[in-house]
Amino acid sequence: MSKPLSEKPNAEAICSSVAAGILINGHYASPPEGKDGKIWVRTCAKVQSDPATLYALWRNVERAPEWQEQIVEVRKTGERTSHWVMRSGDDRIEWDSEIVNDEPAKRIVWRSIGGDSDNAGEVIFESALGNRGTVVTVLQEFRMGKLASLWETIAGRNPKQAVIENLRHFKALAETGEIPRTQGQPSGPRGRVGEIKQSAYGEKTPTPPATRIAS
Amino acid sequence: MKAVCWMGKSNVETLNVPDPTILNPHDAIIKITRTAICGSDLHLYNGFIPTMEAGDILGHEFMGVVEEVGQEVTNLRRGDRVVVPFTIACGSCQFCKTKLWSACDNTNPNAHLMEAAYGYSGSGLFGFSHMMGGYAGGQAQYVRVPFANVGPLKIETDLPDEKVLFLSDIFPTGYMAAENAQVQEGDTVAVWGCGPVGQFAIASAFMLGAARVIAIDRIPERLALARQVGAVTVDYSEDDMSVLTALKDLTGGTGPDSCIDAVGLEAHSGDLQGVYDTVKNALLLETDRPAVLRQAIQGVRKGGTVSIPGVYGGLLDKVPFGAAFGKGITMKMGQTNMHNYMKPLLERIEKGQIDPTYIISHRVTLDQVPEMYKIWRDKKENVTKIVIDPWAA
Repeated sequence: MSKPLSEKPNAEAICSSVAAGILINGHYASPPEGKDGKIWVRTCAKVQSDPATLYALWRNVERAPEWQEQIVEVRKTGERTSHWVMRSGDDRIEWDSEIVNDEPAKRIVWRSIGGDSDNAGEVIFESALGNRGTVVTVLQEFRMGKLASLWETIAGRNPKQAVIENLRHFKALAETGEIPRTQGQPSGPRGRVGEIKQSAYGEKTPTPPATRIAS
Repeated sequence: MKAVCWMGKSNVETLNVPDPTILNPHDAIIKITRTAICGSDLHLYNGFIPTMEAGDILGHEFMGVVEEVGQEVTNLRRGDRVVVPFTIACGSCQFCKTKLWSACDNTNPNAHLMEAAYGYSGSGLFGFSHMMGGYAGGQAQYVRVPFANVGPLKIETDLPDEKVLFLSDIFPTGYMAAENAQVQEGDTVAVWGCGPVGQFAIASAFMLGAARVIAIDRIPERLALARQVGAVTVDYSEDDMSVLTALKDLTGGTGPDSCIDAVGLEAHSGDLQGVYDTVKNALLLETDRPAVLRQAIQGVRKGGTVSIPGVYGGLLDKVPFGAAFGKGITMKMGQTNMHNYMKPLLERIEKGQIDPTYIISHRVTLDQVPEMYKIWRDKKENVTKIVIDPWAA
């Protein structure tokens, strides 16, 4: 059965079974609160695809730059380990990540194992009720540090929102083969206020390309 | 290219901006041959819809010729003539698959803004605020159309642009309003607002079997248009006029079977409640002026249906919910699920059952558009519908 969420950063198993702790023994559990310099994010989306296909897309970590904001490169370094590069403007951070639990077509749990970011996460793929696609639930944990500071410099996106947007991008890519975007479209002069508002709306954060980035 | 840009409240300008380009594999670029100003554009013009920003290109009723397609567009090619629906739908999500196209999950890049305001995000819309996607609109010479496999309707006959242009929004919107009103053979339907959507709601209510349509407005030429298609009319601005009494008198005392609010959030009313709403708007205690909605709920018969194609944006005050409950009414509303209606309504136009050009009063150039927004807002020059040729000098 499910266990309560671990309080430890980089928990080896953030939680067990049943949609990242949304239901525990039939009772709804609110998302965990951030505290002690830790940020927790839990979010979910219903995707019109099957768990195995979605698991495969997520598990292929080298494709993460196609749909995760600001992730510019992911290199596999082993069967379960990978090296991640995140960039915003001239800022750049790197870290290594390890998959600590890998259940094909069901669940992936990971944590950082060194570098500029201290994070851990879990994603669960479950058939939606009534055969209405697959529910993808993500739980991520960040220790505030250089990573969060970098994220904070990206106007309009805190780490929490970035996780939510990344799942949205993942769903759009899986369902449609692209990620909706307006960056690059014409407009009249925005003026200073318009520019600031666009940042506040998150429109200045580059939308991931949804296709392989040429290296 | 030339495009009409929103530059602030009551301020639009026709400016030279860069041409749109293909940004995603399912995009198409359309060279616009006809476009129009919608009643809902006035909500943007008047500053009622949040998250409009300087530089936004307006316009969501347009058609044209395919200029270029992205690599994944399979059902359109350069040179095809298309009408483009104002709601953008992906065709693949849970909502598109159940034909709730305007609830599409995947087309609003700023979904988080709408989620914050409404709980969940609907589809992206052309030229209708950043909250609704921030897409550049079609009061311009070219437009980028995302998910072009799903939305654009090909016109394969030689019907002139003006006959099919309104399939982009107002004809389907008026039709869905009548469908949402659950019109049955022999029903009486009351329609508030005889602008373009109201006109098409009237025509559609008759198509669906209404025996009588009561059209309510104050503008003589709009009431005349409504009578022209067979409605009986009520001018709410006449001295001592009570719309509720009129509705009773015109329905043998039972009230209309269905009421359609084709006005929305900026309803005018001369009485005390009009003053009340204007003051509350000004104090930001209320964002919308729901005078028509109140009347529709009050006026509809017991067990009747209130259908709302008029746009609402935010918070309403003094809505008679007790009346709604007490009479056991049904209310249906929402952005139009365009993709369900474009083809069947095109067939009606092809068969000559309706010629939507009857509502057009003005034909203008892009450079005239800023002035036309004022005329449209003030209902001057007997305006009923403004159509734009973006290439006319």
